[in-house]
Amino acid sequence: MSFEELEHTADVKIRIRAESYEELFRTASSALFSTLYSGDCRIERERGLQVSADTIEDLLWEFLSELLFVSEVESFVVCETEVVFIEGGLSATIRGETFDPERHGGGREIKGISYSDLFIRKIDTMICAEIIFDI
Amino acid sequence: MLNGIQQAGVHEWEIPVGYVPDMRVSGRLFLSEALGRTLEEGAARQLANVATLPGIIRHSFGMPDIHWGYGFPIGGVAAFSESEGIVSPGGVGFDINCGVRLITTPLTLDDLEDRRSIISKLYKKVPTGVGSKGSLRFSGSKLDELLSGGSTFVINEGLGLPDDALLCEENGCMREANPDLVSEKARTRGIPQCGTLGSGNHFLELQVVSSIQDVKTAQAFGITEGTICCMIHCGSRGLGHQVCTDHIRTMEKASKKYGIRLPDRQLACAPLTSREGQDYFGAMAAAANYAWANRQIITHELRLLFEGTFGIDYKEMPLVYDVAHNIAKWEVHTVLGEEQRVCVHRKGATRAFGPGRSELPEKYQATGQPVIIPGSMGTASYLLAGTETAMQKTFGSTCHGAGRVSSRKAARNALSGNEVAADLKKKGIIVMAPSGDAIAEEAPSMYKPSDEVVRVVDEAGLSRIIATFLPLGVIKG
Repeated sequence: MSFEELEHTADVKIRIRAESYEELFRTASSALFSTLYSGDCRIERERGLQVSADTIEDLLWEFLSELLFVSEVESFVVCETEVVFIEGGLSATIRGETFDPERHGGGREIKGISYSDLFIRKIDTMICAEIIFDI
Repeated sequence: MLNGIQQAGVHEWEIPVGYVPDMRVSGRLFLSEALGRTLEEGAARQLANVATLPGIIRHSFGMPDIHWGYGFPIGGVAAFSESEGIVSPGGVGFDINCGVRLITTPLTLDDLEDRRSIISKLYKKVPTGVGSKGSLRFSGSKLDELLSGGSTFVINEGLGLPDDALLCEENGCMREANPDLVSEKARTRGIPQCGTLGSGNHFLELQVVSSIQDVKTAQAFGITEGTICCMIHCGSRGLGHQVCTDHIRTMEKASKKYGIRLPDRQLACAPLTSREGQDYFGAMAAAANYAWANRQIITHELRLLFEGTFGIDYKEMPLVYDVAHNIAKWEVHTVLGEEQRVCVHRKGATRAFGPGRSELPEKYQATGQPVIIPGSMGTASYLLAGTETAMQKTFGSTCHGAGRVSSRKAARNALSGNEVAADLKKKGIIVMAPSGDAIAEEAPSMYKPSDEVVRVVDEAGLSRIIATFLPLGVIKG
């Protein structure tokens, strides 16, 4: 499971390489939360969420947009994500703790998930994705 | 300059039709030779992509602070015809009505000897950074009133001076706002964030008027050399971000429904005459009103703090002006000799209306509107005035800031926040932010030089330099 931040002048562009779609979505969640928050995160609460979409790219976009929403309105810092694909979408369980400005503050606020240059592609045996977080 | 881009005049460059397939008009860039060397291929391509959208009039424009964004480039301007044109959330951005305002004070440098103390008080007073929440909560019908009324609503709640609304673009309120089109999700994000700064390049900065380039206009703008001013840069927070997210989804479907071919999904759009287009416009306008309310609440906090700290009166801190730089608006412009109502998108660009426009307050009728251009952290900011040339050339538009040249990643790898803050401190500038990375990412070396950007718009005639401001202290998110 890996992701790297690519060069992008204004925003944060992430490249993910994974062995499965489940891993890809889990990694995208990690990339999102490591951009938003700093410091460690303990597992003290969990919740489920479901999203649906017509294509795998749209599903990733919907998933990350929903995580961003949940994190912001519920002050939820996520450190563990489980993803199960279901008919037309996915069901996820996220675990983590409540935002503590002393420990998690100082990250970068993400305004939204961009559709620009968003792709998911199979390259050799790996599944690769690139996605831009608007900062 | 990049291959395929041709010089079209002093500081003017043409991206010809054919630079990318399906362009309907050419692109027009305003750059000096030096700024031309910083132009990214990605930004030029995005400018050309905008030129493929239906109903675009004259050119797809790029201001001197152009850089690579998503959908439109940052520093992009495009006007669309009422009957054939489109509206696109990608031409406005996630941070709807991100903008800047300038407030003057009667204070001078002598009053600000203990600079760290006042910056520290501001940092405690104005919530900044990820996860921050405001102390005022407007929900339910109050939130509807805020979304409909913008600045005026907040002022009527006792959080401003009667003239504050008149000194904002659109009088601080877009009348097209329809709160019913703002989703529950957007409302939930917006309620706790009213009166917060956010993060990224948003800031509140204390500055001193260091020089005046046009005395008469500066007088009309209420600017005196040597006095302390405050510049506030922020937008519509999570509410605006969610409105953009909600409507991109609808616009994607609408683009297909109306047969619009898109070179980039983030340019998803709908005809201005369509239900989808009008729904986005109504929701965007409501988010724009939230942003004006947000900046007004922060202004109120600043005035209260200065009243208590310096013993000056609330009324002695008037607003010079408030400009929007991520917005789509209906405006009347002369096209081929005839007045037309067009929808102007400005994404990282500022309206720069010249003298005599009915939209401007009486006191700025003779001068043209004040245009507020923040520099990067630690560098000069500028006050300019709108011009007739801008009306003729760029639908009354100019630059919005310095414009990034390096990525946030490169900034964090190359610089330490502590060192950047220490360097600024040597120059007498105090910086407070929740993390070192937040400071490093916004270091002056990561931006184009603001003086060069401003020189180009001045020499190209898109606005006139009136006064220069030097930073004293800044709080960031």
